[in-house]
Amino acid sequence: MIKVEQISKSFNNLEILNNVSFEIKRGDFVGVMGPSGSGKSTLLYSISQMDSVSGGRILFEGRNLSEMPEVELSEFRLTKMGFVFQNAQMLKNLSIFNNIILPGLIAKKETVHIIRERASKLMKRMEIEGLEERDVREVSGGQLQRASICRAMINNPEILFLDEPTGALNSAATDQVLAILEDLNHEGMTIMTVTHEPRVAAKAKKVLYIQDGQIAACKEFLTVTDHERELDKWLMELTH
Amino acid sequence: MKLLLNLVRKDFKRNKVITTALAVFLVLSALMMAGGLRVTGAMISSVKGLNEMAVSPEYIQMHKGAFDKEALDHFVEIHDYIKDSLTVKMLDVRNANFIYQGETLEKCLMDNGFVVQNNGFDFLLNMNNEIDVVQDGEIGVPVFYAQELGIKAGDVIIVHEGDYRKELKVSTIIRDSSMNSALASSKRFLISQSDMAEISSYMGEWEYCFEFLLKDGASTSVLAKDYMDAGMPSNGVGITGSILRLMNTFSYGLVAFIIIAISLLLIIISVLCLSYIIRATMSEEHAAIGAMKAIGFPEKTIEKLYQIKYSILLLAAAVIGYSAAIPFGDFFSSSVIRYCGSGSGEWMKWVFPFIGIILLSLIVLLECRRIIRRNLKSTVVELMREEEQIKKQGHYSLPSRGLKYRNLTIAIGELKCRWKEYVVIFLVFVFSSFLMLLPLNMKSTVENPSFITYMGVGQSDIRIDIQYTDNLTKQKDAVTSYLENDSEIEKAAIYKNGYVQSQNGLGEWEYIRVENGDESVFPLEYLEGSAPVGSKEMALSYLNASELGKKVGDSITVKYQGADLIFTVSGIYQDITYGGKTAKAAIDFDENDVEVYIVYLNVKDGVSIAKKTDELRTVLTVGKITPVNEFVAQTLSGIMDDMSLVEGTAIVIALLLIILITVMFLQLVTAKEHSAIAIKKVIGFSNRDIRIQFGIRILVIQFMGIVVGTIFANSLGGVIFGLMLSSMGASKITMLVDPLTAYLLCPAAQLLVVFITVIVGTKVVEKYHIRDQIME
Ligand SMILES: Nc1ncnc2c1ncn2[C@@H]1O[C@H](COP(=O)(O)OP(=O)(O)OP(=O)(O)O)[C@@H](O)[C@H]1O
Ligand SMILES: [Mg+2]
Repeated sequence: MIKVEQISKSFNNLEILNNVSFEIKRGDFVGVMGPSGSGKSTLLYSISQMDSVSGGRILFEGRNLSEMPEVELSEFRLTKMGFVFQNAQMLKNLSIFNNIILPGLIAKKETVHIIRERASKLMKRMEIEGLEERDVREVSGGQLQRASICRAMINNPEILFLDEPTGALNSAATDQVLAILEDLNHEGMTIMTVTHEPRVAAKAKKVLYIQDGQIAACKEFLTVTDHERELDKWLMELTH
Repeated sequence: MKLLLNLVRKDFKRNKVITTALAVFLVLSALMMAGGLRVTGAMISSVKGLNEMAVSPEYIQMHKGAFDKEALDHFVEIHDYIKDSLTVKMLDVRNANFIYQGETLEKCLMDNGFVVQNNGFDFLLNMNNEIDVVQDGEIGVPVFYAQELGIKAGDVIIVHEGDYRKELKVSTIIRDSSMNSALASSKRFLISQSDMAEISSYMGEWEYCFEFLLKDGASTSVLAKDYMDAGMPSNGVGITGSILRLMNTFSYGLVAFIIIAISLLLIIISVLCLSYIIRATMSEEHAAIGAMKAIGFPEKTIEKLYQIKYSILLLAAAVIGYSAAIPFGDFFSSSVIRYCGSGSGEWMKWVFPFIGIILLSLIVLLECRRIIRRNLKSTVVELMREEEQIKKQGHYSLPSRGLKYRNLTIAIGELKCRWKEYVVIFLVFVFSSFLMLLPLNMKSTVENPSFITYMGVGQSDIRIDIQYTDNLTKQKDAVTSYLENDSEIEKAAIYKNGYVQSQNGLGEWEYIRVENGDESVFPLEYLEGSAPVGSKEMALSYLNASELGKKVGDSITVKYQGADLIFTVSGIYQDITYGGKTAKAAIDFDENDVEVYIVYLNVKDGVSIAKKTDELRTVLTVGKITPVNEFVAQTLSGIMDDMSLVEGTAIVIALLLIILITVMFLQLVTAKEHSAIAIKKVIGFSNRDIRIQFGIRILVIQFMGIVVGTIFANSLGGVIFGLMLSSMGASKITMLVDPLTAYLLCPAAQLLVVFITVIVGTKVVEKYHIRDQIME
């Protein structure tokens, strides 16, 4: 679905990404790991074109994102991509529910009714029903994170990008979020998540290890069940 | 200290735009403050200087006709509070008798006369404020004409009557402490004794001014009363020196007054902006301040840091403002200096602005300290966890029918939740549109044909004054019969003007000018009551009514030819002519007592007023023929000239102000909403969408500001204009707005300027990235 071809990215003449290439297939669950500052987030932003790249191409269903005009790109992000970040960010002047449905309303692809229905269903599924009218600052970090997953899902995106989605969460909340991601992937959602927690990466079908701006290693798991131990071993080898 | 300065430098670098905007604000207020005070200083020095050098009279009684010179001398002798007296003989000459550059002075409204240099006091001064001397064949021209017609030394003025012609070379431009201003309706030309003798044998009519200087402590009202009681010659108006000074101050002081008013408003706006900026940067820097506090920076040092920052800005603003005020103030005081000279108190224009700037600095510094102190009170923990400090702002809801205009809905929704942040910018928008509109509206009011109703007459096209002739009645008859036979004239009415005496509230006898004629031909709008009907009713001008203490329905006694006449006050109207003191009643003036016949006429539709004026001027050589709109313009010419000057400045300042506030506001608000912008981008808003949202928010606020400003300019502006004109005799002015400029061009210009500023100022949005939010 997404083909990344030799992208490079530098800040102030400092190469952060250096000729990175890989492919994400429909239904994939890609985990991205690597030391802090290695360029994981940058990779994520580059693929979704929130950062422009200094070289290379990103093909999304055959279309080159790096040459798309900004207005079209934002339309693309709106309808085909969903984003979740470490500190779930929401607009402070809207209630949780309105924050969730806002991208749906902007997209104008479906009726308001359908969007609201879907939002309610998503909230129920994420077990945050009842928080609809709350202020963004009146809910817990885990609840807010699940609400942002709802928001990311409201337009039935084709791929979900997550950057340290559990970084600010405690263990119980992390489990909840992981379960949801696993479920979504089972249903066919393509997911790419950056994380430094092996527990999270262990849910992925494919893990990229970024170091010095390059994919230092890549591991695909054949079985879908618990491969945390397997991953740990792999990581140990990589870091020593 | 070095550390502090270092921190300040960093701070300047970091907040470049804000700091610059703030600096410009401070410079502007300093400039206006210093400039206004410089004009004030220059004006006081100038007017005072002229009055001192020329020794202006404290009381003037005009008189036409013969008088008993011995009785007058006796009167002066027995009243020992009179310090000095003078009889000025003025030869009134019709404007048609003057020719300058091939044209007569007929288009000028002023009454002109020749005088010789006075002895003792009331001197006519040259441009160096020295007592002027003219040789035979030379003429000194009032500065008013130098200004209006561009007459300069070396030019030639011809006076003629019949076959007689005399060329006079303009030797100097003269300053006249009593009749300088455009508001004084006569102007004096200075000629030599022998020329006077020659000219007076061919033309003109003698008019006398009995002028008095009083000893310290004596009052002019005592003199006026004694003068009247003694039956001294008084066929004409009596004017006190204070009225003359008022007239001067009014025509010269207006600009200073307006500039100071603007500067006061600007200072308020600056302080508002300053406190807004301090609060905004403080809330942005809460974390930094918290950190400073946490690592043990004493509060005093932090306070000092901010104070140094604002003191440096202020000092720079003060220096720049003061220096810039020098050319600025000189530009606006150039007119008073031309009319009155520099005067002897030139230190005032240096010291006044200095004091003003110091006061301004104090106000700003104290305000700064107050805001900083209040902000520093918060504890370290509060500062660090600023997020929780921000109160819930409230929500807006999304329409249930979907987002048809997404940017509009979001922008309006956010505006609804955060309107408090927009109060300052709203006020600035109100202020600037008010500032732009007020002079514009004043001008359009004065230029509107119906403004003539504030001059005590109904709306008409042309006015003809018949005066200065031995045979007034015959001339009047000639004019009326000509007009009756002119088929291009729709209607005309003739009014007889003369003086009667009336007792004011203090029991002093005063002359009032009474107009007698058919008041129904050109109906006038009355403030109260209605036009006089029959021979027992009298209408009073507003100023007269208030001075005489009369209301509609009161009875009023006036003296004419020694007899008491009793009238009922039928109505009160506004009039800014003749010092604002006029009346309308059917008083049958004796032919010799008629001061002037005034004819008002309307031409038929399709007839050009200008052409008719020219035609009448060639035919009716005795009368002074003026199109009414020109009459208004000339009466107020002094004010209107200043107004045009102020208008230009006001437009520049207003536009500059809205650009500044918009830039500053955008800078602060985008910084503050950094995270919201980043989120919007993530969920699929384009940069363009976000910029449009900012644009809508600001333009909506601006639109409301313009509406409010426009309402103010029409209502409050009318009050202000009324106040300005009230000393002249108008009390209730309705602004006559030119809808095209006021409601279309002006708002459009302002909106356009802000629109462009928003386009430039929101460019920064493109740089905002969700990454920077996560890193926090
Ligand atoms: N806006 C920027 N300007 C300059 N350098 C940047 C910018 N953003 C990121 N970098 C640099 O790029 C490198 C990669 O950053 P990135 O955020 O991608 O790292 P990361 O792998 O996500 O790290 P972490 O695990 O800490 O989130 C870092 O060295 C960072 O300093
Ligand atoms: Mg990262």
